[in-house]
Formats: sequence, C-alpha cells, structure tokens
Amino acid sequence: MTAVEPVSSAVSAATDWYGVDFRGGRERSHRWRRLLWSLIYPQRGQRILPTVSGTLLITVALGIGMAAYNTSSNILFIALSLLLACLVFSGVLSWFNLKGVTWRLRLTPPLRVGKEHAIMLELRNRKRVLPTYGLWFDFKATGLAKSVRSTLGGRLDPLGETKLEWTLRPEKRGVLTVELVAVGSLFPFGFLRKVIGSELRREVLVWPAPVEYRRFPLVSWRQPGLGEQKAAAGQGGDLLALRPYASGDSQRTVHWKASARLRRLMVRQFATEMQAGFSLWVQTSAETWTRPEQFELLCSFAATLAEDLFRAGRLTSVAFNDESSSPVRSVRDLERFLDRLALAETVDLSYQPSTSAGSGRRFNLMTFAPDGARGVIAHVDGKPAAAT
Amino acid sequence: MSMENRRPQLSLSELHQLKWLLGGMLAVISAWTVLYMDVEAWALLALVTLAVPVVTVRPDWVARVPRWIDRLAFPVLVGIFALDMTTHLKEPIAPIIRLALMLVLYRVITPRKRRDDLQLILLGLFLVVVGGVLSVSIVFAAQIVVFTAVALIFLLVITLVDAMEQGLPVVAAADGPPAWMYAGWGRLGRRLRECLDWRVAALSVLLFGGVVGLSAVLFMAIPRFDLGNSLFLDGMMSRKAKTGFSENIQFGDVVDIQQDTGVALSVDVSDRSKVPAELYWRMLVLDEYKNHSFGMSPVLKRSLDDISQRTSQVQGDARLRADMPVWTFYLETGTSRFLPLLGAFYQITFDGQQDAAFSHELNLVALRRTPAKMLAYRVEGMPIGPSLRLPVEGGAVQVSKEDDPQRPVFTGLDLKENEKARLAAWVTAINAPPENPADFARRACAWLQKAHTYSLQSQIRPGEEDPLVFWIGSKEAGHCELFAGAFTLLAREAGYPARVVLGFKGGSWNATSESLTVRNSDAHAWCEIFDRASNSWLRVDPTPGSVAVGDPDNAPQGEAALARIRDHSWDARFEGLRIFWYRRIVNFDQTSQFELAHKAKKLVDGRLKSLKQALRHRLAEFKAWIQSPWDMHRVAVWIAGVLALAGLGAAWRLRGRGEWLRWRSGRAHGRKMDPVRREAGRWLRKISDSGFGSADLVAVRAELEDLRYGPQTRRSEPLAVFRRAKRALRAGTRLP
Repeated sequence: MTAVEPVSSAVSAATDWYGVDFRGGRERSHRWRRLLWSLIYPQRGQRILPTVSGTLLITVALGIGMAAYNTSSNILFIALSLLLACLVFSGVLSWFNLKGVTWRLRLTPPLRVGKEHAIMLELRNRKRVLPTYGLWFDFKATGLAKSVRSTLGGRLDPLGETKLEWTLRPEKRGVLTVELVAVGSLFPFGFLRKVIGSELRREVLVWPAPVEYRRFPLVSWRQPGLGEQKAAAGQGGDLLALRPYASGDSQRTVHWKASARLRRLMVRQFATEMQAGFSLWVQTSAETWTRPEQFELLCSFAATLAEDLFRAGRLTSVAFNDESSSPVRSVRDLERFLDRLALAETVDLSYQPSTSAGSGRRFNLMTFAPDGARGVIAHVDGKPAAAT
Repeated sequence: MSMENRRPQLSLSELHQLKWLLGGMLAVISAWTVLYMDVEAWALLALVTLAVPVVTVRPDWVARVPRWIDRLAFPVLVGIFALDMTTHLKEPIAPIIRLALMLVLYRVITPRKRRDDLQLILLGLFLVVVGGVLSVSIVFAAQIVVFTAVALIFLLVITLVDAMEQGLPVVAAADGPPAWMYAGWGRLGRRLRECLDWRVAALSVLLFGGVVGLSAVLFMAIPRFDLGNSLFLDGMMSRKAKTGFSENIQFGDVVDIQQDTGVALSVDVSDRSKVPAELYWRMLVLDEYKNHSFGMSPVLKRSLDDISQRTSQVQGDARLRADMPVWTFYLETGTSRFLPLLGAFYQITFDGQQDAAFSHELNLVALRRTPAKMLAYRVEGMPIGPSLRLPVEGGAVQVSKEDDPQRPVFTGLDLKENEKARLAAWVTAINAPPENPADFARRACAWLQKAHTYSLQSQIRPGEEDPLVFWIGSKEAGHCELFAGAFTLLAREAGYPARVVLGFKGGSWNATSESLTVRNSDAHAWCEIFDRASNSWLRVDPTPGSVAVGDPDNAPQGEAALARIRDHSWDARFEGLRIFWYRRIVNFDQTSQFELAHKAKKLVDGRLKSLKQALRHRLAEFKAWIQSPWDMHRVAVWIAGVLALAGLGAAWRLRGRGEWLRWRSGRAHGRKMDPVRREAGRWLRKISDSGFGSADLVAVRAELEDLRYGPQTRRSEPLAVFRRAKRALRAGTRLP
C-alpha cells in the first residue's frame, strides 16, 4: 500500500488489516508447502536472532553436547535434548503468540508541520483461546532518523482488541510515509528475538505549518454587488434572501418550504455571504522563489491565510500558477487546496508572475511575493494586505 | 494504550513478586542436588533452604542490605573458593559445587536484575547437571524436569516483566525497597487465581508434556559415537565405599553393612533359567590372618593395584560357551571398588573407560577407586553352578612362601603355639578323612554349627588370646565372619589352603523389572577351600542356615530358584523404575539405538503388513460380494438403502439440523451460549474478516445480526440465513 493518501479521502484503505497470516484484510492460506517453504526461505524482513540469554543457552547446549559426546554420558545427552526441546518449545509458543494477531494503522489527518499527531495502531487478537503477550512495533516515518518503538506491555486477550499510540511531529510538508517497519517479540522465554517484516505503509500529506502574520489595513477592498453571490453559504449574520442551491451548500441551509413551493432547492442566504471575498492565487515561480526556506514560508503563509479566510467565510476561490481558479465552497475544497500546497514546488512559469488581477475581471485577488530576503508578503489587487 | 480485556491481568508489581518467588524455588531445587552428590556442603544447603523462605516472606530485608556488603561479596566469595580449592586440589569438583552454592545463596539474598536472574538459572542448571552426572540417580530425571518447568515459567515471567517495563515511561528509581516487596503472598495467590485461564494453563501443561516427550525422542534420536573417553568429572571426585568392603576389613564390619537395607547392586540376566538358587557375589578375598583379623596380603594387594592403563574390557580366565547368559551389573554409587562377580568369567565390558585390575589368583576385578556414580558392566561367560569351583591357573596353590614370594600363601596361621595346639585338637575332633576337602568342609561346618548358633551379636572376650580361637572354643553365638574365619583357621590347621571371601549372598528377584536386586543387608562372609584333586577352589559356607558345600545335582535353578526369592512389594516396584532408568536411559548407547530403530522398523513393517492384509481381505470380500449374483430382490434392497440414506441426509439438511439447533437453543439457559447466536456470531466474524461489502452480504449481515442479538421470539429461519451467508461469502470470494 504505497499510494499517497490525500487528507480529503483518508478513509478508504485504513480498514486494511495486516498480520502474520493475514494480509490486506484476507487470511492467508495455511498450506504445509507454504509453511515448509517459509522455513527454508523466510519472508522479507523476517529474522530470528538469538538474544543474550539465547546465545547463552546455545553455548550451554553446545558445551553440554560436546561433553556428552566426549564422555558418552547419557545424563548429559538428557540435558542436551531438554535444552533443544526447550528451544523448539520456545519457537512453537512464539508462533502461537503471533498467530492470529492482526493490526492496522490509523492516521487521522490533517497532519500539520510542527504539530503533534497521534498515530494509532489497532491490534486485534483473532485467536479464540490463547492470549498474546509482549509484542513490539517499530515505526518509521519520513524525516525520522531512528525508528520508534511501541510496545504491547500487557496481555491481549483472545478475540480482544487494543490500541497502541505513537506521537509524531512532522517536520516537512509534503508526503509523509509512515511505515510499520517490523513487528517483534521476545515471547516466551527471551531466547530468540523474532522479527517479522511488515508491509504496512501509509503515505499521507502533511500540510504546511501555520504561521503568524501581520495584516495591513486595506483601503480598496471591493464590496460585492447585490447580484454577486458567494457560493458558500454564510455561517452567521442576518438572513438576507433565498437563493438556488449550489453544489457544496450545507443541507442545513436548505429552505424546505420555499423549495417545495418553487419545486427547486432553495437555500438561505446570510449576511456573511455578502461580505468581501478573496481569491488566492499562488504562483510558485522558481524565478521568484529562489530561496527554499522562503518558498516554504510562502506555502505556510498561503495555507494559513486560506484557512483564516475560509473560517471567516471570505475565501471565494483559489488558483495555482496558470491553472484556472477553483471555487472554494466547502471544507473539502479548502482541503484540496491545502493538499496542493503540501505538494507545491517551484516551477518555471511560462508567463510573468503578477501581483494584480491584470485584466481587471477579478477583484480582491490575493497574490504573494517575497518580502526581503526571508519574508513573504501578500497583496490584494496589488496592494500589501499581510506579511509574515 | 487502551485494552479491552475481560479477564484481569497481573500488574508489574505482581509479576515482580512472582518472579522473586520463582527465583527462590529454582534456588532450592538446584541446591538440593547436593543431597545425592556426597559433597560436604550441608551448611550451605541448609543456608539456602532457610534463606529462601525468609527472603520470600520478607523481600524488603533484601533491599535493606548495605551496598558495601554487595561490593564486598565478590572478592570474599573468590577468596573462599581459592582457599577451598587449595585444600581440595585432588577433588576440585567439590569446591566448584560449593562455589556454585555460595553464588546461588548470594543471588537469593540480594536484589536481582534480569542478568542476575539468568545467572541464577545457569547456576541451577550447572548444579542439577553435575549432580546428575556424578550420581546417575533416578532423582535427576525428576529434578531436571521440575527444574526445567520452573525455569521456563521464570523466564516467561522475566520476559513479561521486560515487555511491561518497556511499555511504561522511564521513572527514576525511588529510594528504599520497591512497593512489591511489601505485598502479601495471599493476595498474589488470589490474583493468580483470578488471572489464570484454565484453558491456557491446561494447554501449557500439555505443551510442557510435549517438551518432555520431544526431549525423549531427541534423546533417542541424537546420533551416538563412541569416542572412547571417560567422564572427566569422575576423576575430580572420589567416594568412600558405603558398604565398607575394603582390603582392611575388621571383624564385625560385615555385620555393620548388614544394617543398611539400601540397594547395593541390581543385575540383569539374559537367561533367567540359568539363575542359580545360591547366589554368592564374590567381591573380596582375604588370605592373611594377622593381628587377630583377616586381611589381604601385600602380594594380593599389589596384584589388584597393578593398573597400567585404562580399559573398557577385562579378559578373564573362563571359556565362553553359547549357552551362558549375559549378566549386566548396575553397581550403586559408593558400594565398593571391588566388583561383585559370581565366579570366573570370560569378559567384562564397562560402559566407559575404567582403571581396572584383574587378579588371576583370586578371580577378582578391582577399580582404582570406588565409583562416584552408578557403574554398569556386562559380564559374559560366567560359569555358575550351585557349587562354585574356581580353577587355578598356572598350577596348584602354593603352601609355602619359599616357593614363590610373588605368589600368595593360603595356609598361614599367625597364632601362638598353644592356640595352634588347640586348633589341632579341634581338627582331630572333627575327624575328617584326609585329602578330601569337601568332606572336611562338611564335617567342620557341622562341628562349628553344633557348637555355635547364629547371631549378629557375639561376645568375644578381649584379651591376649586370639579372638577366633577363643570363639571356636566357646559356646558363643556368632555371625558369618566368625564362622568363616573359624573354618578357615581349622582348614588351614588341617592342611588345606583356605581363604575368607566377602561379598553378598542371595538377593531378590524383582518381578516388576525382572532383575535381581542385592541389598547391603545381603552382605556376607564365607570361605573357599582348595581342592588339589580338581585344582580348584570350592566354596564353603559354614554359617548356620546355609548349605555348607553345594550339591551340583540337587540345587534348584531357573524358575524354581527365582520363585523362592520373588519380590512383589512396592519397594520392588520402585526399584523396577530405577532399573528401567539404568537399562533404558543411563545405559542407552549406539547399540540400543540400533536395536530401537530395528524394533521401530519391525513394528511399522508389521503394522503395514497387517494393514495391507486387512485391505486385501476386504477387497477380496468386496469382489466376492460384487461378483455374487444380483437378483431383483437384492437390487431393490440396495436401491432402497441408498435412497433411504440420501433421504435421511436431505432431511437432516433441510429440517433436522434446524430442529436440532432450535432444540439446543431452547435448552440454552444461564451460562450456556445459545448455539444459534454462537453460529450467527461466527458468520458475522467471517463476513467482517472477509472485508467484502456486496449488497447480498449487507443484507445477510442484518439478518445475522438479528439472529445474534435479537430476541429469540422473532427469529427468522436460522439455517436459511446461514446458507445465504455462505452463498454470499462464496460469491464475494470469487470477485476479482
């Protein structure tokens, strides 16, 4: 499972359960041939290594074995065979312990750079009688030098479930790969460290970090005219009028009586919809944004502004470079924009970046430009509106 | 981490408490191996045994031990060990065992971390294995099984503690003993009862049984090679003979040995029909009468101390005949360095290399030292008769030292003249014809038995006079040594070479193990008199109740002889277990492996053969049945039978199973789970696990949920729902 998971569709593959004998929600077939073959050629990432006590046991067994052969003492042969049987017993119990245990990774987007997020591993013991003990899970995420270990300290009862949580603080926007590197166990006697490679990997987008910025008083904001509507229904203010339903409108704003009367869906239009809306135009010209850290700041600034404006109900549309603008009517639209920002990179533009609407067709157009060596400034229709 | 567990589980503190308890148990189990190791470590054993309950009841005392004691412990232990080793250089294993015990004690009375717990297990394993190797006792089998079980639980708890500690945030250690040290044991017991799932416990016991079984299989299957080495630990430890059968035996020693009822040796015989009624296990021959007691002359001693090289076989003087049985002896730990034998032999084979010497003159085999563990040896070609005749190789027994100073003389009498005169008078009174030692023996024995009765208590007046001469002249009762000694003196006075023989007489036939068991209480002394005519030694037993000189024609042998000594007691049954241990475990070697493999192959071949025969027989019957004429009646009966069966199957499928479920569902009250609900739950799990979401499955899931959780009264037909679930799942599986 390697496809990048946008925040806007972060539900789908999360239901996949993985395990030693369980993959992608399906149980693997238990054929002897497969079992035998796995003994000869273990799965990728599967390792069985002796621990200190295991090495000690093997050394003791070797010593006793050598003494037994040298002396023909059957007492030593008994001790040797018991030690070997214990090793086999340990392997069998370890197999029982891991058998039937399934897990799935739960990430709850949105992930933001610099913010702590809980990553959850759901564990389920599908065995009917035997509990499971002492498993550990090694996670790795992009940007982390070392893997992080989360341990199942207690007992996981038969047919029981539990959750292991791990806190992650993404350091970079973009695609974050969270991988369950290995599942291991020292159970039952700590002789052998059994590690199973896991194929469980999730890729999620990390949105840019929110930044603090200064706002400038805007003198030339154009107030929308009466006929000019904003698609997203306002969340507050007085009821001004009714208008036809547009895609993205909340069902709560539907005026059912009017809809019945007019035989078309009508929604309530509130005062906030009539306030000045802004269009965000993010231009990622490599020529303009020569400093990577400044470009990162641009992404964070744009994301923060977009969220603030959306929260205030004043974000009408967003656009990237030479792409056509997309209306922002719902949270999903905003998330799409933030997803784009998460993946944004500097590009060579075929046109000259602009800080104004140019054609005059669009008003309250917010554009961004470098502000000195480190800062970023936002212009509305060419006038400074906010800066970091 | 959130857990949805229904059963409570032990907390970290409780696991620590359990770990502490198991460590103590392990220490006691391993320390008790010294009980059968004959190492002087009783004080340490007592300390460990006392310390464990004390620190188990009050573990907090352990945490209060000052750190300087902890730091000082290691150098002190090393110092004690060095001192101990210096004083016991010839037997280094004893100081090593004492050191291991000291370390166990140290680990018991100090706080333990994971590394210390592992050290305790290793020390325990060392003690158990060394104890087993040195004693070859059957107790070892029980002990190592118990030790393994406790050690595995101990290791399991250590692993669980580690896992639990890993899952917890790191907290700085607080001063003073940890909280678990103050917790009560009763509470832990109750918590264990609450947390234990009997199914898991039963499965664990079964699995451990599997471990023991697997180790038995491995024990038998591990390839054996005879590298011809002997156990190095043997040389590191010596034992004093428990029975006291040594060259320097005093009058009364044999009687002392008789007080011990422990087993001295067990003997397997390949042909029980050859077992004689009179069993005299010769171990030691005393030829010299000096200073009022019999002993072994320096000449004979030299012949038995002349050990030039280690060997696994000793060649005797007897000839091997095909009808002679093979005798396998299991000589118990510390019995004697002289090997019990019934007489002359062709060959003795040991189970390893031994320092052994063979005296042709005495027909005796002696080891350099008393074996520190059970010694097994096989004797072939041992001619046994009711009356023993030991042929003398290389001419007659010499009667004078002047002939050959390197050979023993069996006629010496170190007595005063007046004592000799008294002996001569008694010989005259016996009135035996000359040159007939057998007749002399019969008459002398009868004469002695007429004058003396048998008793373990005898009064010999201390004084200048020779005690034996005094006793012969008295009317005092006597024991076997006095009778044997007296006869030897009389025989020598009469001019017959004679000697005292020590060993065991008789034994019992263990009906469980079908082997002979000889106990220390069977210790006995008798004589051998030289017969010049046959140039051999004749066995003479002058003790009352014995046949003085055996009659080869009338002595019972085989089953008749065994019937008299058959033992069915519980002791015998336990002894049987020990013999099994010796035969099948301790003496298991490459030959046994081949025999076992051969037997297994034979068994499998036999089973396969009988299976093939049975199949062939059935096939022939079927063929005959098919080929028999088919009339209308027969055809009709068969068609009706098949149809009836098919009908029954269909009825069961359509109605029967449903009715059965309904009936059982109606009976499900209280704790019993309704079978319909259970079956519905099973299908729901299957659907949930499949991850499919077809419309059919969604529909059937609702029905299943109704069956699982809904009221019984408004149930739809459960079987039909289950069938639909099966169909929907199959359809889902076929999806790409």
